[in-house]
Amino acid sequence: MASPLTLLMPVIPGTSLTTIAATLQQYQPQLDAALTSIGTVHYARTLLLDASTANLQPGGKTGDSYVIAIITEYDGDFSAYIQDFVSQVGAVFDALLQFVVGGAALIPVANNVQAFDAFITLNDASQHAPNTGLYQAYTATVQQILAALE
Amino acid sequence: MTDPAIAYDDVQGTILRGYRVDLARHFILRITDALGAAALIAKLVDGADGLPPVTTAQRMRPKPACFLNLSFSASGLAALGLSSPQLATFDAAFQRGATNPSTATTVGDVGASAPDTWIGGLADGTQVHVVLSIWVDDDRAVLESVSTRLRAAFAGCMTELSAHDAQALPDNKIHFGYRDSIAQPTVIGAPPRKHAIPDDQPAVATGEFLLGYPNESGGTYSVQPAELSTNASYAAFRILEQDVAGFEDFLRVYAAQAGISSEMLAAKVCGRWRNGNPLELMPDSAGSVLPVDQLNNFTYVNTADPAQSDTLGLKCPIGSHIRRNNPRNAAVVGTDSTHHRIVRRAMPYGPPYDPARPDTPPRGLVGFFINASISNQFEFLTSQWNDQSDFVKSATGPGGSSAGNAVYNISGEDVFLGVNDPQDSFFTLPAPGAKGANNTVLKGFTRTITTRGGVYCFFPSISGLRYLAGLAGGAAGG
Repeated sequence: MASPLTLLMPVIPGTSLTTIAATLQQYQPQLDAALTSIGTVHYARTLLLDASTANLQPGGKTGDSYVIAIITEYDGDFSAYIQDFVSQVGAVFDALLQFVVGGAALIPVANNVQAFDAFITLNDASQHAPNTGLYQAYTATVQQILAALE
Repeated sequence: MTDPAIAYDDVQGTILRGYRVDLARHFILRITDALGAAALIAKLVDGADGLPPVTTAQRMRPKPACFLNLSFSASGLAALGLSSPQLATFDAAFQRGATNPSTATTVGDVGASAPDTWIGGLADGTQVHVVLSIWVDDDRAVLESVSTRLRAAFAGCMTELSAHDAQALPDNKIHFGYRDSIAQPTVIGAPPRKHAIPDDQPAVATGEFLLGYPNESGGTYSVQPAELSTNASYAAFRILEQDVAGFEDFLRVYAAQAGISSEMLAAKVCGRWRNGNPLELMPDSAGSVLPVDQLNNFTYVNTADPAQSDTLGLKCPIGSHIRRNNPRNAAVVGTDSTHHRIVRRAMPYGPPYDPARPDTPPRGLVGFFINASISNQFEFLTSQWNDQSDFVKSATGPGGSSAGNAVYNISGEDVFLGVNDPQDSFFTLPAPGAKGANNTVLKGFTRTITTRGGVYCFFPSISGLRYLAGLAGGAAGG
């Protein structure tokens, strides 16, 4: 049985869209490798949204309403594995949090694991009504699926 | 990076050193007068008024007659004057405490193990402030004389809720008959162990056991105020009662079901034979005790010779106690075992069990599980690796997927430390075959270890103890 993560992180007003996009691109291979190593994440994607546009798509200019979104479905207890998560993707989050409102106080996340966990709880829309739902077509874990595919 | 230099004389000894003694007594105390408690802490740090000094990690020669260490619960630190914002910087599990309902659920202290059943005043964690522990060689007179001096010193400032004695059994055995105290992590920067059994794993970052040093995640655990941070540590104090007759019954009944000997099943649920030999080296019989440099040989994945890998747990089951609590180089989700190791400082209590005359007086293990993060080490081990079975990564062994996959070769919870409600208790004895088709799964057994008490403890550094003494003394004086 997986759980959803819908992490929505408002960006510091005036931050360059290009800089954020470049950072996301730079760290994507590291993030992908880390998620493979962690072994509990079914799917993950990062989005860059602009709350000031009608369709939430970023327009390409420096704005005041950007949001970095990380959306995943994962197995297990996120808080129990928070330290492992930080071990694997702490550097990626350090790079992203520099753009995020309230993020500077969490960097490096490896030194602020409890505060980082609290930040995720606060900013994970899936942990707050009315956004807690998740449809699942199956209940198998990532590792059970990989084993079945062997 | 060079290894960090640890000021051994600022670290409480039990964190980094095993004392190699036969007797221990753990006093459970409630602070009734903060000023008096502060004065007592100061005396203990200095060994004043004939009291034994707090033992440090600095080796002492000659060996002292009594080792003493001192730890505090969150409510104990509050009683000494720490503020709520300061306590909020401590490990989240430590803040919750051992008797908190969320903690109890997390670590499986439910039913007969629930905190409200605990003995010796431990049921109400808000009243448990201090765990003061003494260890002595096999001279009970020393234990009693030191206890008399300490009890006189407690008078007026601390109430003794209970005291819990421990006594080593011959050959470091525990009541279930296993030789214990074999595997301990090698902590980077710790003093060399005098009679160490070599660990077969990478040395672990200092910061996994002491605050203020780099940990395995590349960060550093710390608390506020800074005076309490560096060289401090945490521990879970646990009283674990062992139902030896029940365990022997389990072995007898389920060994017959599995078609193996009781001793083989004892080895399979533990990962070691009762003489300490690892199943990885002695898969078929206990044999004679192996040389010490082989006692921790649990190479589950043999990269040099993959044909020798025990990825599927055919020798040492993936669900065995030793493999759950320290998967070593076997693949698990998250990170790896190096990120979740603990130092074990526990000793048996109660009379030895005589199988010729089965009886049931209280007997078990009492002591500390030491770590720099109760959340990520003790609680992680308990809640994830002991009480779950889905943490194993998909992996095949020398025979490929037709011989099985690690994912299918574990079920249920740890036989020793799991909740093991008979409705859903399982233990898998793996056998070669696709998708675990030939595995033997034992079902319906009950837990044979019951939690009888617990405290989440903070071990301040020596300078931290002096700070606490001054804090309470200053607050009371101001």
